[in-house]
Amino acid sequence: MDMKSLYLLIALSPLAGSLIAGLFGWAIGRRAAHVVTILGVAVSAALSLKVLHGFLTGEASVFNEAVYTWLTVGGMEFSVGFLVDTLTAMMMVVVSFVSLMVHIYTIGYMQEDPGYQRFFSYISLFTFSMLMLVMSNNFIQLFFGWEAVGLVSYLLIGFWFKRPTAIFANLKAFLVNRVGDFGFLLGIGLVLAHFGGSLNYSDVFAAAPGLANATIAIFPGVEWSLMTVTCILLFVGAMGKSAQFPLHVWLPDSMEGPTPISALIHAATMVTAGLFMVSRMSPLFELSDTALNFIMVVGSITALFMGFLGIIQNDIKRVVAYSTLSQLGYMTVALGASAYSIAMFHVMTHAFFKALLFLAAGSVIIGMHHDQDMRNMGGLRKYMPITWITSLLGSLALIGTPFFSGFYSKDSIIEAVHASNLAASGFAYFAVVAGVFVTAFYSFRMYFLVFHGKERWMENHGSHHEHHGDHDDEEPSGDHHHGLGPNDKPHESPWVVTLPLVVLAIPSVMIGYFAIEPLLYGDFFKGVIVVNSEAHPAMAELAHEFHGAAAMGVHALQTMVFWLAVAGVALAWFFYMKAPHIPAAIKQRFAVIDRVLENKYYMDDLYFNLFAKGSRALGTFFWKVGDMLLIDGLVVNGSAKLVGFFSGVVRKLQTGFIYSYATTMIVGVLALMTLWFAQLIF
Amino acid sequence: MNWADLNLMPAAPELFLFSAVSVLLLLDLFVSDAKRGITYVLSLAILAVAAVLQLAVAEPYAIHTFSNTFVSDPLSTLVKLAMYATTFAVLVYSRQYCADRGIFKGEYFTLSLFALAGMNIMVSASHFLSLYMGLELLSLCLYALIALQRDSVPATESAMKYFVLGALASGLLLYGMSMVYGATGSLELAAVAKSIGAGSANQVLLVFGLVFIVAGLAFKLGAVPFHMWVPDVYQGSPTAVALMIGAAPKLAAFVFVLRFLVQGLGPLVADWQGMLAIVAVLSMAIGNITAIAQTNIKRMLAYSTISHMGFLLLGLIAGNADGYSAALFYTVVYVLMSLVGFGILLALSRAGFDCETLDDLKGLNQRNSWYALLMLLAMFSMAGIPPLLGFFAKFAVIMSVVNIGLVWLAVFAVVMSLIGAFYYLRVVKCIYFDDAVDTAPIVVRGDMKLLLSVNAVALLVLGAVPERLVALCVEAMKQSLTVL
Amino acid sequence: MSFQTVVFYVLSAILIFASFRVITAKNPVHAALYLVLAFFTSAGHWLLLQAEFLAIALVLVYVGAVMVLFLFVVMMLDINFEKLREGFWRHFPLAGTVGLIMVAEMALILMSPEASLDQFKAAAPLAADASNVKELGRQIYTTYLLPFELAAFVLLVAIIAAIGLTQRQRKDTKFIDPAVQVKVRRDDRVRIVKMDAEKRAVADTDVVSEEQQA
Repeated sequence: MDMKSLYLLIALSPLAGSLIAGLFGWAIGRRAAHVVTILGVAVSAALSLKVLHGFLTGEASVFNEAVYTWLTVGGMEFSVGFLVDTLTAMMMVVVSFVSLMVHIYTIGYMQEDPGYQRFFSYISLFTFSMLMLVMSNNFIQLFFGWEAVGLVSYLLIGFWFKRPTAIFANLKAFLVNRVGDFGFLLGIGLVLAHFGGSLNYSDVFAAAPGLANATIAIFPGVEWSLMTVTCILLFVGAMGKSAQFPLHVWLPDSMEGPTPISALIHAATMVTAGLFMVSRMSPLFELSDTALNFIMVVGSITALFMGFLGIIQNDIKRVVAYSTLSQLGYMTVALGASAYSIAMFHVMTHAFFKALLFLAAGSVIIGMHHDQDMRNMGGLRKYMPITWITSLLGSLALIGTPFFSGFYSKDSIIEAVHASNLAASGFAYFAVVAGVFVTAFYSFRMYFLVFHGKERWMENHGSHHEHHGDHDDEEPSGDHHHGLGPNDKPHESPWVVTLPLVVLAIPSVMIGYFAIEPLLYGDFFKGVIVVNSEAHPAMAELAHEFHGAAAMGVHALQTMVFWLAVAGVALAWFFYMKAPHIPAAIKQRFAVIDRVLENKYYMDDLYFNLFAKGSRALGTFFWKVGDMLLIDGLVVNGSAKLVGFFSGVVRKLQTGFIYSYATTMIVGVLALMTLWFAQLIF
Repeated sequence: MNWADLNLMPAAPELFLFSAVSVLLLLDLFVSDAKRGITYVLSLAILAVAAVLQLAVAEPYAIHTFSNTFVSDPLSTLVKLAMYATTFAVLVYSRQYCADRGIFKGEYFTLSLFALAGMNIMVSASHFLSLYMGLELLSLCLYALIALQRDSVPATESAMKYFVLGALASGLLLYGMSMVYGATGSLELAAVAKSIGAGSANQVLLVFGLVFIVAGLAFKLGAVPFHMWVPDVYQGSPTAVALMIGAAPKLAAFVFVLRFLVQGLGPLVADWQGMLAIVAVLSMAIGNITAIAQTNIKRMLAYSTISHMGFLLLGLIAGNADGYSAALFYTVVYVLMSLVGFGILLALSRAGFDCETLDDLKGLNQRNSWYALLMLLAMFSMAGIPPLLGFFAKFAVIMSVVNIGLVWLAVFAVVMSLIGAFYYLRVVKCIYFDDAVDTAPIVVRGDMKLLLSVNAVALLVLGAVPERLVALCVEAMKQSLTVL
Repeated sequence: MSFQTVVFYVLSAILIFASFRVITAKNPVHAALYLVLAFFTSAGHWLLLQAEFLAIALVLVYVGAVMVLFLFVVMMLDINFEKLREGFWRHFPLAGTVGLIMVAEMALILMSPEASLDQFKAAAPLAADASNVKELGRQIYTTYLLPFELAAFVLLVAIIAAIGLTQRQRKDTKFIDPAVQVKVRRDDRVRIVKMDAEKRAVADTDVVSEEQQA
């Protein structure tokens, strides 16, 4: 099999599964639907692994070819093409592998759902779209994949479309993403206009260095650096998709979707699309310090402040969601520090351990009969041993325990920020270091609340109906939400649920140790990710100080970062195991801070009041004046009347009598004759 | 001419067609009404064999025969293959309909196939006389087919109208041809073009003849102001025959126009461009606007056809190979779409009931969501909504006029297609959002269901990959026009 | 002006007059006869062009056969021509105006100096022994073989159409096929139904008789 058909097979086999499950799901039944989709994704995963293996052993070479020309418009070619290099190969493995795990997990999680086949069809479609996105060799296809994953995400957040909160959440995700996409599209437009008229990556990157000092005047008289404007616009797209402050508001609400989706789309893959895009565009971003500073600031705000929100959540999925936001912030900071390879490294490790945490949370939710409130849990370790162990491993990876995968990527980020010489790196360094403590605290708060302590589901039943937070914490769907009765016991989930947990736990623990050296300091990303090491020496410095993965782990024991994490865990243990009255007391004492956090820094209210209500008011105005008066009154009704009048006239001519038809024909000839021989006749 | 020189190979499909249909005509005499299916199957077999023969004798260049009155070139091969397929589909779609209405008779098949033979001649003629004879053969068959349901007053009436007006149009065409003959001294396309190109012919006489020729051609296409027959004939004739008229003959008429204007009168391009532009503008405007006022769906489709002919002419107006191939592409796409549109009407009709008005389509989605979807595809495609095939067809012809600098015409075409989208979408609205008036079960033969589905889904699938079809048209046009 | 030119104009005048009367004459028989006149004058035009064969064919076929048939039909069928021609004079002014303008324009164009019809040379006169029929035959069966054969098919289609549109199976026909009659067997005519005797025999005999009829 040549490479082209191999890549086509990787991308298309999930699509085939999706189509079969989606179009013929009603005919083939549940079992066949999941078999066919899993088969499709498994093919992708296996072949992706093969591709990655090829790159690791040095057998494979970069593949950059148009596969199919979709349309040619005035010299512009819209083609479907694949660019497969090490970066792509890594993303392909992550996407298809996590997706495969989620597919298997879904069999157990969605067992009773009436939309079973639809769900499988969607997630396979997502896998296809995401693969198209990462494998693209041009901006158009990138944008197609970008929108396609957005669409599937929209569909899946609103999967339980009978729940108003789910509909609200998916609308929110959709709208917020539009803001990002708007920037992204503008960025692509600038690329098309100024980078040699091609949308192929290779052409654009080749044109970029020559444009490093080019300027454009968006407002007359004000010259801006072309590169900065382009990069920031592109990054705005990434902010939407990767949920960076201030476009992060949709991600927590997206937890309305089924948990496998939260794991696959809103933790492991789709939200990293923005980061992937920035890494892919590294030849552009390297040319603009301003853009990199901007990225770093946005990332560090997200990393720290979203972590704070994680502390006060009581919904198990929301804790994981905020932790995702915070981790995405970390990755963004790494991008800002020109440490693209570290960002991608963290994307990979995070994909594994965050998918693990989400799926574990889902397993807990199954065990608790779809009760998501942590205050009703506790002591679950006895009842759900596999979930407990895997969760613990995932949490340890998340907080950066030495030798765990998360440690290598996260610590590298912190080091890279430390080494960065950009203006924003000081603030960013503070944010990421403080973030370590916060992360450790909320992760283990969740861990202790869920798996240790008293078994609270017996005593406190019913409180989850009044737990804090806004409307969309609730799960009003009757068939899904019951929770445990006082006499029920949680139980371990079926093997289809626990198997993915175990399988995901392995890379969560180990992959960092093995991958750090080739990925960050070897030449895995050589020629793919471009870093201008003179202007941005962070990576070079890190490479200088790196003495192997084991040494890094040992060395970490004597750093502040490690002890901050330990302090976070210890504090969590003290607060939630030893002295549970303290958090309550703190909450009362610092009611103001608590309120700010509970209202998520009032971001939602701000958006809702300013944009939603404001645009509604604006819309009402335009509707009254523009639509009702001008368009409806004059244009639509007016032209409709005109059209009606006109067709009335024509109908009158169309009498049905042959002689009038013949006359019309003769008059037609006469008219043509008169027109063409005007000067002869007159 | 020497008999030994007569190369019959290029005309083999036509010769086969004529002989086979003549045999069929005789065979049918021995077939009882109950076993008419035999004739039906034989007709389909004739089409298949003709198509195979066509492929067998196809050459990538033009071959003339019959003393240069007949030409076989890639263009004619492509169009003929499309016409075989179209006629095949028409016969399959109309089987039940005709059986229910007593026109499932031997004449129906022989006339349809003779009409096809006439179209073949129109497509393959390289001489004014053979062009004209092909046209007459086709027209006569169509007149008779419309009237075949002789107890139906509307059918007889529309046959009569078509016949009288068709005769008038033939007269105009003949008169124009005689003028061209007078000026150039030849009836052979290549010789005519050569004579005009050399500048030896009388210009006034030529343009004078051209006016009449354009009028005659516009009648055949059904373009304004020579369109009056179209709505009446579509509405009056049995739906199966309306489909027959609306499908393959448009392909033939397009090539017919191409042979006349491009191959014969090519050097007069500056003149006929202008005439066609007027006709195209009027067709798009009147076709689209009047269609809005229609409640009879067959009549609406008739006006939609008129507007489509306007769009098709845009490609010819471009006056270059790109434009011609765009127009060819448009015609093929149009035929595919109208096959689906009428096919659905045929599927929804049953004994004693013709699906004709918008009301009959109401709530189709409740009755059968698959046919509703197919109709939706056809309507969206006709409206030119991407990514359906119709969009690319419209796009191609509009681009071709933009390329020659006629931006106003392109803008006009876009505005008109927007107006047109209204009535196509109204059909979709009826299908999906209104409650069904007619609740009878929809019974369709399996073969028709399959073919219709393939036909409609092709609009979507080919819309995703239009390049192949476009390339086919471009290639055929390029190889055939080199002998200009 | 040569003699031939005079003849041409005279013939043309008669032709135009006759054609006009075909559509304006009240009596359909008159109209048909005017059509005969029109054909005759057209044949005269052919003669002027030295196309004797065509002239004779026109007279023989159209005047001799077609028109006679026409006259028969007109006289045998009771068609109300008054009703058919209703509204003729009402529409005449408009149609006449359009027609006149058309003629005027055509005349202006064709007679303008730019059209330079006078520069067209008359065809070279045929040799004295040239045979019109032979030449026509040669052309038809060689150069114009295809159009000629096509014409044959047009006629075939016309026959099919005419038969298809007019021939009807009469419903009250008493036609009997002897072959079928001979093949008849007893079972086709009589069916014996065995049944138990019942009291309500009246209804049963009805059924039996119905079945026999069937």
